[in-house]
Amino acid sequence: MTCIAMREVAVVAVGYTRVSEHWDKSIKGLFIEASLKALSSAGLSLKDVDGIYVANAFAGYLQRQTNLASIIAEALGLTDTFAVSIDAGGASGGLAVHEAYRDVAHGIRDVVLVCGVEKMSEATSSDVLTAQASVEDQEYFRYTGATLHSLAALIYKTYMKRYGVKQEDVALMSILDHEHASTCQHAQYPFKITLDSIMKSPVLSDPVRVLEVVSPSDGAAAVVLCPHEKAKELGAPHVKIAASQLVRDSFNIVERGDVLAMEALVKAASRAYKEAGVTPSDIDFAEVYDDYSVMGVIAMEKLGFCREGEGVKVLKEGEAKLDGRIPINTFGGLKARGAPIGAVGVYQAVEAYLQLTGEAGANQVKDAEVGLTHGSCCFNSIAVVNIFRRCC
Amino acid sequence: MATSAYWRTRFQRYRLIGNRCKECGKVFFPPRFVCPACGSVKLEEYKLPERGKLVEYTVVYTAPKGYEVMTPYVIGIVELEDGVRVLAQITDVDVEDVKEGMEVEASIRRLPEQLEGGMICYTYKFRPVIK
Ligand SMILES: [Zn+2]
Repeated sequence: MTCIAMREVAVVAVGYTRVSEHWDKSIKGLFIEASLKALSSAGLSLKDVDGIYVANAFAGYLQRQTNLASIIAEALGLTDTFAVSIDAGGASGGLAVHEAYRDVAHGIRDVVLVCGVEKMSEATSSDVLTAQASVEDQEYFRYTGATLHSLAALIYKTYMKRYGVKQEDVALMSILDHEHASTCQHAQYPFKITLDSIMKSPVLSDPVRVLEVVSPSDGAAAVVLCPHEKAKELGAPHVKIAASQLVRDSFNIVERGDVLAMEALVKAASRAYKEAGVTPSDIDFAEVYDDYSVMGVIAMEKLGFCREGEGVKVLKEGEAKLDGRIPINTFGGLKARGAPIGAVGVYQAVEAYLQLTGEAGANQVKDAEVGLTHGSCCFNSIAVVNIFRRCC
Repeated sequence: MATSAYWRTRFQRYRLIGNRCKECGKVFFPPRFVCPACGSVKLEEYKLPERGKLVEYTVVYTAPKGYEVMTPYVIGIVELEDGVRVLAQITDVDVEDVKEGMEVEASIRRLPEQLEGGMICYTYKFRPVIK
């Protein structure tokens, strides 16, 4: 399908806020903070930007603010710059990176700013639940009284039965996230948790417990993409984008036949590996979309890091730790770094950059050369897989 | 939900009306505009059976806006007699007595949310089959 010559694309700068409850900062304020940090770190300024992608999932619902890209571009003083919002739930960030990557690869734009931003802390928890459920088809989903927690619970129970594992095994995913977040400067929850505290936390939708689920949070993360040649000229540390793939599946998990199939993720992964010319064993670390503990476990399997049903074995044997065979969620993942939903994919891209430029500090994966990020909306009804590679 | 949106979906909510692809025979609930299996736009109305069994379920303790008063309540996957699966609330049973594989049947139940002017909304829920 692609026959025109493509340019190599680099991530040349990153900027981000801590994931937290930023009472004092608006969506615009968070966005500008992350974006200006990113641009200045590569010696760029706003006038160098010729395209902006804004990744956000819930501003339309929680802040009653639509038309976000134009609102933000204007706040940046860039009234005549290309600016588009990407709204695809938890896949928004990864998809925004995908669009920017294509623009630069195809020579449409040279310096593209991608910023994911979300502000969830100022809403009531039932509003947040409703906003999260609004990514499902409302004409069907709304009147069932189902929540995303309840769909995750149905997946969770099916998973435990099929593979004969216990909740105590699956919950190790949250322990891993918190362990990695405990040394992460930008994490919302930089501390370790125990299995006991998880199992004593309240049940949201049986068996899903509070400490296995993401919490509402605020944050913004930005990456700047440009042609690899330009990144070399700028002389700033940079990494290459080796692949970016997006695949969709039915929203309605009940209609999928097997709720554990996650076909979109399987396809996105295999296409991304092919595009990058790598296999799962070449991946040195991965940031997976674990909005629920069980979804992180399933993601490791579908990405090919282990066989089906063996995700909990990877956790039990310590293979997902920073010094393990396949380090997962190296800065704490959705559970502990935090999950400002629309911004998650951009935080993941930032983290891949930090690992591959050797700037990951206490969370550094030794000799990391290839990293993968995974974004998802509605249990991989949209799955995005991006692969990044160290360079120069 | 807007009154008109509620009205538009009345057949699926009151009578479990989905649709079926005239080309390949695949059944959809909720009804679709295009068959994802074969791409056909020729779809005909299809009445789902009202009985089936509970394949999997969960007890919901944290509800979305408007549904808080119902907690704890059960959400489950019901496989109907023709093999079609629907997501639905399970009612008329204590949460502790809900069992996987349980025989269930459709019934009409009131929704907790009301429309403008106090219009009361209804939908299907499934209850244990009374022997
Ligand atoms: Zn068909």
